[in-house]
Amino acid sequence: MDLLEGKSVSKQFGALKAVDQVDFHVQKGEILGLIGPNGAGKTTLVNLVTGIYPLTEGEILLDGKKINGLRPPRISRLGIARTFQIVKPFSGMTVRENVVIGSLFGKGGRERSTRTAFQEAERWIEFVRLQDYRNAPVDQINISSRKRMDLAKALAMEPNLLMLDEVMAGLNTKDIEEMMALVTRINRELKITLLVIEHVMKAVMSICDRVLVLHHGRKIADGPPREIVKDDRVIEAYLGERFAKVRKGLG
Amino acid sequence: MRNDRVQEKRRKGWVIGILVGLGFIALPLLIEGYWIRVLTSIFMYAIITAALNIIAGYTGYAAFGNIVFFGVGAYTTAMLMLRVGFYWWAGVIVGGILAAIFAILLGMPILRLRGHYFAIATLGINRAVEQIALDWGNFTGGGKGITLPLPKMEIHSFYSMIYFIMFGLLLFTVLTNFLIARSRLGYALRAIRDNEDAAEASGIFAPSSKIIAWSISAFFTGLAGGVFAYWFSFIEPATVFDIMIAVKAFVMMMLGGAGTVLGPVFGAFLIELISETVWGKFLTVHMLILGIIMVAVVILIPRGMLEVFQKRLSLMALLRRIKDQSV
Repeated sequence: MDLLEGKSVSKQFGALKAVDQVDFHVQKGEILGLIGPNGAGKTTLVNLVTGIYPLTEGEILLDGKKINGLRPPRISRLGIARTFQIVKPFSGMTVRENVVIGSLFGKGGRERSTRTAFQEAERWIEFVRLQDYRNAPVDQINISSRKRMDLAKALAMEPNLLMLDEVMAGLNTKDIEEMMALVTRINRELKITLLVIEHVMKAVMSICDRVLVLHHGRKIADGPPREIVKDDRVIEAYLGERFAKVRKGLG
Repeated sequence: MRNDRVQEKRRKGWVIGILVGLGFIALPLLIEGYWIRVLTSIFMYAIITAALNIIAGYTGYAAFGNIVFFGVGAYTTAMLMLRVGFYWWAGVIVGGILAAIFAILLGMPILRLRGHYFAIATLGINRAVEQIALDWGNFTGGGKGITLPLPKMEIHSFYSMIYFIMFGLLLFTVLTNFLIARSRLGYALRAIRDNEDAAEASGIFAPSSKIIAWSISAFFTGLAGGVFAYWFSFIEPATVFDIMIAVKAFVMMMLGGAGTVLGPVFGAFLIELISETVWGKFLTVHMLILGIIMVAVVILIPRGMLEVFQKRLSLMALLRRIKDQSV
């Protein structure tokens, strides 16, 4: 069953068609990879889902109900959380306070007192293994910890759909391994559906159930990771036309 | 263990706070005339600064024109007393409420602006409302100002009464700051200050949170304006819409610590005491010194004096910040 569905979703900035007539769907329980070269429109698509930009054309449905046109906080409270490519921490706060924002204002946040919200936050801090830094000001932790904090904040919102925007970018090999394990746990243990924008192909190949490829704002492929990497259009998009032809000649 | 120490500290803080409060209540027995007036004016500045702290400190919206609410409170009180025959206190309360409503109506369009644009818009509104008060002469008294009905009591007890009213209002404002800081609204405001887009992505309704914050800020500023009008029994546009009051409040807030409960009050006491005892004698350089303090605060202690005390920063540590910044 589809948790999220997009019907000919388009976004135009001036003359640029950042996202062009993209049909997509995210099935309940899966990890969907969203890949494509720089400027393909991946982040724009996420921003359309979260309501940051209005759509130029098309429709986005969550559980069959139209959500485009709603304001970002309203969409967040319906159960869609995200992380940011460049983490946007609340810089005047500690790690714990950053995470508590998620448990105070997310899906179940309204019924919660600040006290129980802090207890909730603690759970997510431990989940991403940041307990040693819980009282640290965010400007004093490294990029890997910041990414995990952003993830904990998103999880604290108890989303049905979590969208991770390059959560592994800038991490070293060891941190990438840990993050992959964490993402898999989020999917398996917490039963959260994931949409993952990623450039680290190793991660895409091993954690995604399905991959959607964007290029110049258009969808060029959609399928299991193993088939996607053999797709000529995908290879062409990433490595150029010439390489694709050479490969075909050899193939 | 950590928790015990925190609680111990908290208890100490409450005891000191209550003692200081009782001290101010007892003070009128010891002092008179001049010092009663000085302290009343310090309380007033502390209210304006603590109210400004809600929108500018917690929320990060530099409302330079916040003093418009002071003027609205003052004129509402004056008009209601003179033209309708209200009791002074009823006028003050209505003044506060009108200021809050004014902030809601203004906030809907201009709280969409961010950064400098918002700051400049508030300045423009302050000037516009001042101009209305000036031009609507037959109702507001115009540039000549307007005299309120004089209190029917002996002058010394009148000044003592105003002293207690201002002090009570200050307590009320600080208590509100304290409650906001620990509430859901407080977390929303600070998240908006730190990153408005991320705040909205986390489920915070930024526009309504900001409007609520500004209307609370305006309410207290308006109440202070109303009490001021009754206290001075004469107001004119140039005094109650004076942008320098807001500038001073900004210096006080930043000196004490923006976005903290007690910082702004502390800053107000410090600046007003020094200004009254020292600079009062050098009127021409008064503003110069205020300007220098503002620059020094921004460079050396952007988080205010409270941070200096809490972390026990030395002068050397502060001076090192200049070096770090010039790199």
